[in-house]
Amino acid sequence: MLNWTFRELISAPQQLLASVAAVAGAFALVLFFEGVFAGESDQIVALIERTEGDVWVMQKGVGNMHMATSFVSDWKIDAVADVDGVEKVTPILYLNSAIEAGGRNWFSFVVGLEPGDGRAGPWRHAGGAQLPGAGTAIVPDIFASDAGLSIGDTVRIAGRDFAVAGFSGDTFSMANSITFVTIDDLADTMSSIGTVSYMLVDAAPGVDPAILANRIMGEVEKVNALTRAEFAARDYSIAVQMGLEIVWMMTLIGGALAMLLTGFIVHSHISERERELAVMKALGVRNSAIYGSTMLQALAIGALAFLLAVALMLLAIPLTQWLMPKVSLAMTGEALIRTGSTALVVSLVASVIPVRRVLSVDPVTAFQQ
Amino acid sequence: MTTPILSARDIVKTFGEGHTLVRAVDGVSVELQPGELVTITGPSGSGKTTLVSILGALLRPSSGEVRIDGADLSALSDAELSRLRARSIGFVFQSFNLLEALSVRDNVLFPATLAPGGTRAAEARADALLEKLGLTGRRSALPRTLSGGEKQRVAIARALINEPKLIIADEPTGNLDSKSGQQVVMILHDVARDQGKSVLIVTHDQRVEEVADRVLWLEDGTLRDRKAEVRDWVRDPVCNMALDAWTSTIFADHGGTRFHFCSDRCRERFLAKPDKYTGHESGTVIPLERRPK
Repeated sequence: MLNWTFRELISAPQQLLASVAAVAGAFALVLFFEGVFAGESDQIVALIERTEGDVWVMQKGVGNMHMATSFVSDWKIDAVADVDGVEKVTPILYLNSAIEAGGRNWFSFVVGLEPGDGRAGPWRHAGGAQLPGAGTAIVPDIFASDAGLSIGDTVRIAGRDFAVAGFSGDTFSMANSITFVTIDDLADTMSSIGTVSYMLVDAAPGVDPAILANRIMGEVEKVNALTRAEFAARDYSIAVQMGLEIVWMMTLIGGALAMLLTGFIVHSHISERERELAVMKALGVRNSAIYGSTMLQALAIGALAFLLAVALMLLAIPLTQWLMPKVSLAMTGEALIRTGSTALVVSLVASVIPVRRVLSVDPVTAFQQ
Repeated sequence: MTTPILSARDIVKTFGEGHTLVRAVDGVSVELQPGELVTITGPSGSGKTTLVSILGALLRPSSGEVRIDGADLSALSDAELSRLRARSIGFVFQSFNLLEALSVRDNVLFPATLAPGGTRAAEARADALLEKLGLTGRRSALPRTLSGGEKQRVAIARALINEPKLIIADEPTGNLDSKSGQQVVMILHDVARDQGKSVLIVTHDQRVEEVADRVLWLEDGTLRDRKAEVRDWVRDPVCNMALDAWTSTIFADHGGTRFHFCSDRCRERFLAKPDKYTGHESGTVIPLERRPK
């Protein structure tokens, strides 16, 4: 029976290929949307993950960077620096704002840096100045390219004009780009005097960041301190939570589409093979064996479709980077597990669709011409 | 006295109810002994397919008892009936009904997957059957590349692979040319004579009747043994096929004579130009010495 199950499946290779491609299309759609979401989520925590600093210190009660505002009095920079085990403190000012350029608005993290200190600055130089100076900004290269910006052109941030001094790489996504200015310019723009948003703390060699974070919270009043890994994880979690329902909805829609397609394919397959099924029943094959065979065929189609969808995604990632640089696309293990599980469930459920058809096949019809 | 392989008593099968009730099989009793070849024939709609489906454990009768190799079918569940069909009955169909995705050898081995021991135990038997039926050279071929005769020989090998005691064949020569048909008839004859299997064949083929131990005539749901009856041999005036006027159901009267036909097609051709066909001895009784052997 197993022999028949797989030989029958590959006996019409073009039909099989079309079936697998159709289901793979649905899975690829799910993977693609999840990939875009994952890419955007990765970009949300890019600043935390790509800059230096073992511990992030922020206003008490604040635990995130995304969708959050933090103000810490600047005198606490020295207080943190005095904590045992702290090697260096790098303050930044931070603002969520729209940037106007080329007649368009882009949402951006605006990061104010200490003059000449690149520790929290751009991690990949893509042209012009590496760090912002007074009245200038370092903007993402893709943003500049899209807005037609050159060195010396003007961008408007929170109502103030800045001259473009340089470009940074890996700092752009559709939902989150990162623009760097000096901390003084940003403070002036925000009318924020005597405060910083976050402090990036380097631990002395041999000091555990988690212990250091606790020590800072114990010694400096009204601050929260998190290790970089924990801070990034919390921000990533916020991003994922914000998009979780959308991801599930997309998975559900894609899964439902795949299930309908697989069900239709398996049902059509059964209908076309009704006579052979009648013959098999007449020869003594039980309904359960035929049903098992149908389920195996559905699983094989689902598995092949999933593999094809993954292959399509592996192809889509570099293609997207080349054709649509604004789109950040990533394929995570979680997305693979989720879509793989969906493929399994889809195949099992789809194989239930033709059960009535299988049961209704009358072995007596094998005698009919 | 030997135990019959197949024993059916007072089989009744009805379909519908009330005014639409049809008695497709009406009180049929039949027995098949080991080594016996029996044919069932009858006009279209006489209930042949229903009867053979009941005797082949594919359909449960409305009443009556069917035993195959001693097992009372009414006492078996659907799953047990499937197991019984796989192990005790070999089927040969008019349309061959091979599994298109499988090679000749895999088709022959297919029922072995349903028997104890599986295909491994049956491989040598399959090769021997293929050799015996002249199919060794075609063992890897797919059904679509086979001739009708080859397909039916594969179907016979498939029916024999689990060494069942009962073979049920439905019009096994119906889709074959005369040479292939003759070959199939002789194979089934040998299966009964040499291997001692009970062979039940539904057929209209005169050649099968010639080698049958008994010829059963089914009409209006009832069965009667016709082998011993005196027959009234006539020839179809169009195709010249020998027919038994006593059982023939397709006929036409012309010029005061009744003419019998093998099919509606021959009858229509006759009625279109009766004078063309009335020149020879059609419709008349064939002398004894010229009766088909």
